[in-house]
Amino acid sequence: MLDLESRGLPAGFVASCEFTDAAAAQGRSLGIAPKSVFVPHPIQDRTDAEMAELARAAIDDVRALIAES
Amino acid sequence: MTQTTLLDPTAELQPVERQLRPRLASLSGATVGLLDISKPRGKEFLDEVESLLEEQGATVKRYSKPTFTRVAPAALLQQIGAECDAVVEALAD
Amino acid sequence: MNTRHVLIVKKNCPTCTLIEPLIPLLAERLDGGLSVYVQDDPAFPDNFDAVDDRELEFSWRHGIEIVPTLLRGDGEGSERVFGWDRAEWREFTGITDLGEGLAPHRPGCGSRTLDPGMPEKLAARHAGFGARKVDLAEAEDDMETCFERGWTDGLPVVPPTPERVMRMLGGTNREAGEVIGEVPPNRVPCTIEKLAINAVMAGCKPEYFPLVIAAVEAALDDVFCMHGLLCTTYFSSPVVIVNGPAATRINMNSGVNALGQGNRANATIGRALQLIIRNVGGGIPGGIDRAVMGNPGKYTYCFAEDESDSGWPSLAMDRGFARDDSVVSLFAGEGLQGIVDQQSRTPESLAGSFAASLRTVAHYKYFGVCDAILIVSPEHRRVIREAGWSKADLRDALDERLRVPADSILRGIDGVAEGAPESLRGKQLPKFRKGGLHIVSLGGTAGMFSAIIGGWVAAGERGSQMVSQRIE
Repeated sequence: MLDLESRGLPAGFVASCEFTDAAAAQGRSLGIAPKSVFVPHPIQDRTDAEMAELARAAIDDVRALIAES
Repeated sequence: MTQTTLLDPTAELQPVERQLRPRLASLSGATVGLLDISKPRGKEFLDEVESLLEEQGATVKRYSKPTFTRVAPAALLQQIGAECDAVVEALAD
Repeated sequence: MNTRHVLIVKKNCPTCTLIEPLIPLLAERLDGGLSVYVQDDPAFPDNFDAVDDRELEFSWRHGIEIVPTLLRGDGEGSERVFGWDRAEWREFTGITDLGEGLAPHRPGCGSRTLDPGMPEKLAARHAGFGARKVDLAEAEDDMETCFERGWTDGLPVVPPTPERVMRMLGGTNREAGEVIGEVPPNRVPCTIEKLAINAVMAGCKPEYFPLVIAAVEAALDDVFCMHGLLCTTYFSSPVVIVNGPAATRINMNSGVNALGQGNRANATIGRALQLIIRNVGGGIPGGIDRAVMGNPGKYTYCFAEDESDSGWPSLAMDRGFARDDSVVSLFAGEGLQGIVDQQSRTPESLAGSFAASLRTVAHYKYFGVCDAILIVSPEHRRVIREAGWSKADLRDALDERLRVPADSILRGIDGVAEGAPESLRGKQLPKFRKGGLHIVSLGGTAGMFSAIIGGWVAAGERGSQMVSQRIE
């Protein structure tokens, strides 16, 4: 992620909310935190339709990862 | 590991905290890379993200890591860097 | 008057343990009482509550060199005794029976503040810095972060820690907080300390720092036109030339490969100037620096002149300095143009070769536009000197050969559109304005090659002129 930022691309990642603490800790230890969106857990046993619904619910935040508007 | 302190060699006109790149002004006309980190269900999530971003005027390119257990190979990062204006990685679980 | 007494000790000192039994008595009998600061073991002394000075801040601030030291008062008016001398301590404290049962004297031990490396470490730890501190995160690589923060010229830099900067500041008598001027294009006031930070990053040793300071002072001289030079699309950037004893003292290279890699002083002094322009001034390629191609000298371009021939005046002497003055001269220049001449046995012939090459600086039909530096190699200098010519004779011969009728170099002549404007028809034109051709000498002693550093296409009053600055 930070590698892509260093290549000139605004970048962000999507993770399940289980990752919130780990992502924050890594951001602190690197001195810079990439932009992130957290979606509700669990993920692995969801159906295709449920994954599509998660994406629709998160899309505004996902767009904000990389664009102002 | 003891913490390192450096002294700022610059004119100090920028904030001291490291900054991320500025975000795109808008999606319309931009090429957005979607990088699948290859964990289960990530592809289905990104399929929907792809069609929603296309509705919003972006061109979308899809990529995936060969395995989620290792960082993306340099060649893939170079390719994304060359082909895209912005990138979203998903879905860490 | 309540004058504080302070005793500074360390456990690992036989003299301090010798006088340990005296401490409660001193605390009781001294005016204003007694504080004890201990440099190594907070449990020492056994019989008194001491202040933990393991960080050595108190010891450093009070200039403690020997333990034990007994200090009275503070700052300018303070008095002290150190080591153990019974008679001296009795007189100092006014306690006439002090240390009755003890040996009459015993030398003290070195204070921990003077342990190897400690003076710089402590200065860095406890002195204030004007520059902002950048605290790295735990997993942040110090070398990578300099790249990521945009502090480098594309090559790695030495991460500027407070200790390194403190050591660099030790290379000058100037105050860290002194403002040297405003560096273009940002025009932000720049302190000696900021120069030191960038000199550290460049890889300078502290003994190079006075040359870096002189180079920056020269660059900030209005006549050098640094701002204009930064904004140009042309190739030029500052070239640093060092004359005088300072060059030999720091082992600069004026001989084999003097314009190439390998010598730390040559490499890092030029680089420090470039980093300062970049980091403090804000002169960044793609930003205000829009050079079409640039030139490799923008990493570093710094050398010392070969001054081994006492009959050949140095560049600094040409510019009014004495041979034993240490001087930095700055020139807006680019690259290197080689001149081969392995045939000339006479200085006239050599001057002809030099002049023909000099005529092509910037463009063979540009006259009166640029300055230049002619670098005469030792072998070519020998040809000139063996014929009984002086440097001034060479200059005269070049001037003669570098004056042409404008009609031969007008626009359109030779089918080449570029050239002197029609308005100059009928005139005699010199290639260089008066004072625009500088002559220096350097290089290895085997090789009949000389060289030219071409100047900027804006010279003289409407552009940049060479500036020389004494090194302090």
